[in-house]
Amino acid sequence: MRRWLLSGILTLLVTCFSVAQAFAHGEAADEPFLKDLTVAFYNVHVSPTSITVGQPVTITGSLKILETWPYTLDPPVTAYITPVVPGPVFALVDREVNGQPAFGSITVERGGTYDFKMVMRGRNPGRWHVHPGIAIQGTGTLIGPGEWVTVSPSDTPFKLNVMLLNGTTVDLEHFGGGFVWWWSFAGFIVGLVWMIYWTVPKRTVTRLAVTSQLGANDDAPDIGLITREDHKWMNVLAAITILMLVGGWAWMAAKYPVRLPQQTDRFAPTLDTSSYHLAEVRPVGSPNNATFDEKTNTLTISLDVKNTGTQPIMLKQYSMAMATFVNGSQQELAEAGPHDFVGSLQVEPPDPIPAGQTRRVVLKMASPIFDEERLIPLHDPQQLIAGLLAVRDNVGREERVTVKSVLVPTEFQAQYLP
Amino acid sequence: MASTPVALSGAERQRRLELRELLNAKYVFIDRTWDAVFWITAIFIVAGAADITKLLFAGDWDFWTDWKDPQWWPVVTAFATIIIPSALQYIQWVAWRFPTGATYTCCCLFLATWIGRFFQWHVAESYPMNFVWPISTVPAGIILDWILMKTRSFILTSLIGGGAWAILVWAFNYIPLAPYLQPAQFMHHVLTVSDVQGIAYIRSQTPEYLRHIERGALRSFLGETQYVSLLFGGTLAAVGYWVGQFIGRYLAVWPIRRYIKTL
Ligand SMILES: [Cu+2]
Repeated sequence: MRRWLLSGILTLLVTCFSVAQAFAHGEAADEPFLKDLTVAFYNVHVSPTSITVGQPVTITGSLKILETWPYTLDPPVTAYITPVVPGPVFALVDREVNGQPAFGSITVERGGTYDFKMVMRGRNPGRWHVHPGIAIQGTGTLIGPGEWVTVSPSDTPFKLNVMLLNGTTVDLEHFGGGFVWWWSFAGFIVGLVWMIYWTVPKRTVTRLAVTSQLGANDDAPDIGLITREDHKWMNVLAAITILMLVGGWAWMAAKYPVRLPQQTDRFAPTLDTSSYHLAEVRPVGSPNNATFDEKTNTLTISLDVKNTGTQPIMLKQYSMAMATFVNGSQQELAEAGPHDFVGSLQVEPPDPIPAGQTRRVVLKMASPIFDEERLIPLHDPQQLIAGLLAVRDNVGREERVTVKSVLVPTEFQAQYLP
Repeated sequence: MASTPVALSGAERQRRLELRELLNAKYVFIDRTWDAVFWITAIFIVAGAADITKLLFAGDWDFWTDWKDPQWWPVVTAFATIIIPSALQYIQWVAWRFPTGATYTCCCLFLATWIGRFFQWHVAESYPMNFVWPISTVPAGIILDWILMKTRSFILTSLIGGGAWAILVWAFNYIPLAPYLQPAQFMHHVLTVSDVQGIAYIRSQTPEYLRHIERGALRSFLGETQYVSLLFGGTLAAVGYWVGQFIGRYLAVWPIRRYIKTL
């Protein structure tokens, strides 16, 4: 019995301490539809991946608010593209969306593609997982693929210098902090004196015995509950408080004559309208356009692809939520995004589709990420997935087409489907 | 302004003389021990109650400098922070005739929020203190207690004190906020220093659009949003004062009285 108990405790301890380093930000807890049908990230790059404190890291990439945005969420209108990192371990110093500076939120639309660039400077030493993300009002923060970035300590302490309009430069790491504390503390001291005046010399037990026999608006100076002396000292403390406020206000108004309300500017980034159209894509299979095999983590999607351009086209990538699957060499895989979020895509048949032709193709992807990030709806009210299929023609033009598929896990088929 | 009861009957005068003796009766040991136990243990309970109430109603408005805006910050914080001071004011005034309930609550809250901000937000999460400093309500508490001492009336205190509260909470904390309202250049824009803090110190789960910056048509008041807000904040603070009175009277004192009667 004791041996069992001991081994039980040991097992528990070992499990507690040997859990592999967790790197998700809770996104695995989100339902699959929240990730798949909403936004697809692609071409995400975080570089460099090793810096010292104070040096910049740049996140670039693209995301599309998919046309398949589910009606079960509020329509996407207001959004904020942000780095997703564990707290302010980096400081964000620049952000552009579709080439335009974007310090705050933006307005977005279904079907819009947003290219982003964010520059952060390393603030805290450590190894941090860095993602791009987009917070959408009513939905929350949807996150893209992540990359590990190592920030090593530096001899010079981190500074975040900002230029004021009056020409002076201030370091936001410390600016004004001392005054906030001492000012608030001075007010606290007056309050403390007020409390000591009442609680130290005056006792509560006998006062309760007296007040219980008097009305609540009777302060009984004749009995000695609140005396003239009390009034005098409280007037002094109240006067000190008011004087402190008036003095502080005058000082503030003289020292900081220009004070602006907080600023806001929400704009709709200019959307790129493509001058060409390469392909039309239609899901096929009834009712299952896509299947997922849980045992091998394999996703299979059937499509009819029509080449509407003038050159032969290849199917190069399929991006879904934060994952991208690449049809190409190891080199192309490495260039497609953060390693942990890129897999290989198998297209059957593999040869290019000639101009004007329609071909039935099968996309096959096998990756543990489907399970780890919980991308696939297995028993959900919306048995649907959506992603972006990237097609490329001979002259290097590229188009990403949104594909929505009904998904049936293979485990259902033995029972229900032919 | 101390009240002098006029035209007391002989019996009443005698009763008040006896009360005077009762007040000065010597039970020093039990008194002092009880006082110390009470005032010190209550710090934690009162600070907790005040902090939870503030979080519930004013949430992020007290966490970040870039949320301390001219329109909403004076309104929500005035309402959220007056509730528990009002409840304690009722208890301490009725029980001991101490004009201390608001100051006591505000001092407890002051300690709790600074400790919380420092350890949870600065040490553990590494936000700079100059971005996450809490507001202080102590001066407003002093004046609220002073008003109660002078008026000896909860109704007058709610009416005069509610307005005073909104102005004092805002004015006292606007002074240290001022440096963060200076215009600065950042990301090809003119922003306040507080906006820059809000952008640079990343909050992945608190996107910028959650702030309420100058919504609605208040700007038509000659651009003096601030003062319209303070007026509205004062009215709401008077309402909040009565929420606090309700808590003090019916959630705290009434059950105790009932319990004592059963003894
Ligand atoms: Cu991560």
